[in-house]
Amino acid sequence: MRTKAAILAAGTVIALMPAWAHHAFEAEFDKNKPVTLTGKVTEMEWINPHSWIHIDVANPDGTVTNWMVECGSPNIMLRRGFTKRSLEVGTELTVKGYQAKNGTFRANGSSVTFKDGKRLFVGGSNPDVPDDQK
Amino acid sequence: MIRRILICSAVTALALFSQEPPRTPWGDPDLQGMWPGNMGVPLQRPESQGTRTTLTDAEFAQKQAQAERQAAADERSTATSDSVGIGPPSYWVERGKPTRQTSLIIDPPNGRLPPLTPEEQELRKTARGGKGFPGAWRGEANSYEDLNIYYRCITRGVLGSIIPVIYNNGNEILQAPGLVIIRNEMIHETRVIPLDGRPHLNSSIREYMGDSRGHFEGNTLVIETTNFTDKDAIGSNGAGYPGDPGHHSADMKLTERLTRVGADTLNYEATIDDPKTWTRPWTIRIVLKRDEHYKLLEYACHEGNIAMSDILSGARATEAKPSKDDAKPSKDDAKPAK
Repeated sequence: MRTKAAILAAGTVIALMPAWAHHAFEAEFDKNKPVTLTGKVTEMEWINPHSWIHIDVANPDGTVTNWMVECGSPNIMLRRGFTKRSLEVGTELTVKGYQAKNGTFRANGSSVTFKDGKRLFVGGSNPDVPDDQK
Repeated sequence: MIRRILICSAVTALALFSQEPPRTPWGDPDLQGMWPGNMGVPLQRPESQGTRTTLTDAEFAQKQAQAERQAAADERSTATSDSVGIGPPSYWVERGKPTRQTSLIIDPPNGRLPPLTPEEQELRKTARGGKGFPGAWRGEANSYEDLNIYYRCITRGVLGSIIPVIYNNGNEILQAPGLVIIRNEMIHETRVIPLDGRPHLNSSIREYMGDSRGHFEGNTLVIETTNFTDKDAIGSNGAGYPGDPGHHSADMKLTERLTRVGADTLNYEATIDDPKTWTRPWTIRIVLKRDEHYKLLEYACHEGNIAMSDILSGARATEAKPSKDDAKPSKDDAKPAK
């Protein structure tokens, strides 16, 4: 509950920020289609305006779907301590986000963590960032 | 070398700067370096703050406390928490370091935009057959033209490229004899500004970033820019602000003044003079701090602009299924067309 209160307070802060969206997320993603995806990284695309993590997600029926998860621009991710070597193919991630309105297997990664719950992007303190890149 | 000696005493440095700032080898005031923007100062001042340009101690303490709460909320946001919103995740947002500046606008004295002219008010209603200027996204996506030129990866315009936002606020200044070069990280602008007094381009030539001419007045670089189009919009990200499409006329004249007021502090001011749009000129101030660790990274935009195609196709999908039934995912469209 304390977390929720803090988030509400944080939400107020966000609302006061000047136009913060590179693009309007509501334009691209559907808030009626929340997704939680757990899967293995197959590819990492370092591109602008947004990077994309590709992950294979196992469906309940045994099939596998490859999803694309939208992340920040390479510039900001590098500044947060994320590097080319931070995310290896095969790493398991959990993604919380919303699916694209057009129904494709794309989602914005509102929150992306390792499967064990550890945060993916924690800047220089990310224990999984190799020491020579901290 | 000389800079390091000056940094030893901030007060002395400021006093020295008012007398003798560093010069390039050819004698121009030296503004070179990496000056990334720090966000957190609103464009307009709340009316309650009147003509105050700085926050009170109490207001600043509140701002710092808010920043700490935000940082704590960012740290708590994980895929297993219940706090996820549809917006950008915490790890790709720069929150900025709180400062005491009450608003970017320093003139008019109330720190707020002057009134629009009647003509501009009318134009904002009637543009694009009554749809108004693109500005911030308003829910329509029938064509790429409904999205502003930042979404379209064209430019954020002169002011939009320097007003600090949530990421990629890099600004680099380089100098050469007779030239000043300003590089903005997003969306990779390079302004090459001649100082030799050559005239502006013919007025029939219009550019998104206008046409700039610079000269030094004492220690201040003055840049005058004309020959604009009216296609960008003044605001963070060159797309106006919520509720304000930020449209200006092509006859806008922009005067920027850059002064190094300390070893690591650059005072940037810009006066917008556009009598067709606003009833009087207005001026913003952005205080820039040096950070030589900051590197400009290429912000190639078009190649990865999946958002554009997804916004348009998403709007079409929504139109096709207005009952909010989940659209069946399409395997064929999982990968973007390369």
